Amino acid sequence: MSSLWQSIVYGYRYLCRRRLYLIVMVFVPLLCTAFFLSLMQNGLPVRVPTAIVDLDNSTMSRQMTRNLDAVQLVDITMACESYQSARAAVQRGEVYGFYVIPRNFQQDALSGRKPVINYYCDMTYFVPGTFSYKGYKSVAVQATASLISETASSKGLSGNTISALIRPISIDINPVHNPWTNYSLYLTPSFSAGVLELIIIMVTIMTLTYEIKEGSARRWLRDNRGSIVQAVTGKLLPQTLIFCIVGWCIQGMIYGFGHYPINCSRWILFITMPIFVLACQGFGLFVSCVVPNPRLALSTGTLVAMLAFSFTGFSFPVQNMYGYMGVFSWLAPVRYYFMIHVQQVLNGVGLWYSRWWYVIMIAMAFAPALLLWRFKRACLKQIYIP
Amino acid sequence: MKILRKISDWFFAMGRCFAREWHICLHDMGVLLFFVMLPLMYPIAYTLIYNPEVVRKMPVAIVDHDRTFDSRKLVRDVSASPTMEVYDYVPDMSAAKDLMARGDVFAILEIPRNYGKKIGRMETAHATLYTQMSLLLRYRGFASAITDVQLKDIAEITGERAALLGQAGAQLNGKPIENDAHMLGDIEQGFASFVMPGILILILQQSMILGICMLTGTSRERRRKNRGIDPLLVQNVPATALIWGRTFCYTTFFAAAAIWLLHWVPEIFSLPHFGSAKDWMLFILPFIISTAFFGQTLSYFVHDRESSFIVIAFTSVIFLFLSGLTWPMYAMPDLWVEIGKLIPSTWAVPGFIRINSNAATLADNFTPYIWLWILSAVYFIASWIVIRRIERREGPRAYVN
Repeated sequence: MSSLWQSIVYGYRYLCRRRLYLIVMVFVPLLCTAFFLSLMQNGLPVRVPTAIVDLDNSTMSRQMTRNLDAVQLVDITMACESYQSARAAVQRGEVYGFYVIPRNFQQDALSGRKPVINYYCDMTYFVPGTFSYKGYKSVAVQATASLISETASSKGLSGNTISALIRPISIDINPVHNPWTNYSLYLTPSFSAGVLELIIIMVTIMTLTYEIKEGSARRWLRDNRGSIVQAVTGKLLPQTLIFCIVGWCIQGMIYGFGHYPINCSRWILFITMPIFVLACQGFGLFVSCVVPNPRLALSTGTLVAMLAFSFTGFSFPVQNMYGYMGVFSWLAPVRYYFMIHVQQVLNGVGLWYSRWWYVIMIAMAFAPALLLWRFKRACLKQIYIP
Repeated sequence: MKILRKISDWFFAMGRCFAREWHICLHDMGVLLFFVMLPLMYPIAYTLIYNPEVVRKMPVAIVDHDRTFDSRKLVRDVSASPTMEVYDYVPDMSAAKDLMARGDVFAILEIPRNYGKKIGRMETAHATLYTQMSLLLRYRGFASAITDVQLKDIAEITGERAALLGQAGAQLNGKPIENDAHMLGDIEQGFASFVMPGILILILQQSMILGICMLTGTSRERRRKNRGIDPLLVQNVPATALIWGRTFCYTTFFAAAAIWLLHWVPEIFSLPHFGSAKDWMLFILPFIISTAFFGQTLSYFVHDRESSFIVIAFTSVIFLFLSGLTWPMYAMPDLWVEIGKLIPSTWAVPGFIRINSNAATLADNFTPYIWLWILSAVYFIASWIVIRRIERREGPRAYVN
């Protein structure tokens, strides 16, 4: 026991030797979380800058422009005299879309010649593009409805009949547990976890393989009486503790300070973090065992952890990826953290539904023990290839 | 004459630094990985991840308390929508919630008891779609698909009802105002077409910075081992010559990478690629140069070869957000907008997207273009300061004292 304790003390002192470790392990994950929290603090990016091209300038078209400006989603920042100049404004990035009211709009609408309103959304930026589309469409549909209701009431139809005519069915959309459709509720926690995973994997690989690089691997093993299990445990345990504290701080920033909604017991969050940290360390250890060369191991670990931001399905669902790309999502521990986060924190379903994610993460944490012999062999050879 | 001599000496020194840096790059597998393999393979991996573009066939559970002709028709329309797929009918909401909790469905359509009756009575019939909110993209798909279904059914039912009203109704049939949506830049509203042009720029920037930091980190290791002298570098040349020689070396590497990333990748995957080659090439030049200087500046924080990963890798996520690709710049706090202005990709991402996807010209991107040149100048000075500080701290003089 005392020799394991010595090994842990060595692991701690090893971390203290370089300021870089402290900065990267503590400040980078916390700063990144603060960055995500503050970046998206204003809620949804509504008030999309929009241009209006009113070629009619009649009472009706001006009313429509006013309605458009009153919609929460868009903000008319520019009035253009033609399609061309509005398009040029999009190309300069000044607006994310524009709304064209055609010539003789009022005249055609009132005489039943069905004028066409065209709107253009810059979809090279998804969020503003989608919001402007929603805003434009709702104003156009509203205009149609109000015109129908005006005509109908002039024909002597009653209010009830008119509303049944305009809206015979109505399907409400209920975004469950996130009625504000707030993007950052899942983006901030999952991206923060992604950064933490990246850091854990890199630090694990670096602190393990640097023994080989610095030529101290043999001595390190000897100090641990030749037990690679004890050596690795002693080196990684102090990091586990630091990462857990950092992880809990991240959760505290998001759910405590940020008051993000949380639909499960706080204990679940608390318990998940150490399991996630261990799974990430397990992944780092696995890579170090397979390629015990600092550069190659770091390349591999970083490659997976960076791609994890994409194939974990934070932004594009895994179910819709090509099968041969989707399978990679199960490689990264953050995928399981993300699933648990969705199920527990966002949706508040029972812990039972997430049981497998915990099992897999625990397996990821301890499975690399089977490959430790490879790492031991590399430590004994102690050959550094740059 | 003396000054001419000095200038020619400087250029000669710069040329030697340039040739030496090429030599070092070609003999370093780690750097070649960043300079060649990363730009070559990463865009393919990323595009393959996002290439399905849109979310289709998302399973929906149906809770139909009505089971009439009308409710079945609604379910049929939902089933016909490309975005949604009917997973199954379930008896009640708790069974549907269980399916949602298991992750088998991502939405529940609940049709209340009197849905058909209300349609028959010429009233407004209601139904509710509950969507899971784990991804905005799914919610967006559901919302637009169900709106389309609703609009289609409304048009049909309104037509029927208007016919029942006789003369008065005949004039009401059909929409008095038509509307037509046009998507610019990403016509299909696909995810790869949206995200890839920006990601390509970031890949270019990050692989360049990673490679540069690895090169300088290795050079600093050699310096420490050889009492302040890196034997592989050209000795006794001015710092500016060294910086420019290196920058030209990286520029030549990444000019080739840029053609692959910014021309061939969009071509191969048929991503939007409209702008003129002259425009994007001229636009990207200051980006590459400023990134080369930026990388040399950041190398101050990289003390050894492998630290480049740990110091640089996480910045990719930050730079992605600062570029405004995922979160628009107009919704960002001012502090981050101002900090973002110091990063080359913040200017290059929107600029390249406009040229590439919206067929903008270089003139349309005057501001980002000028800013990239300004950043080049700023980071040239910064990298000069960095080199001087490294020289002072780790150079031969540090060992003499």
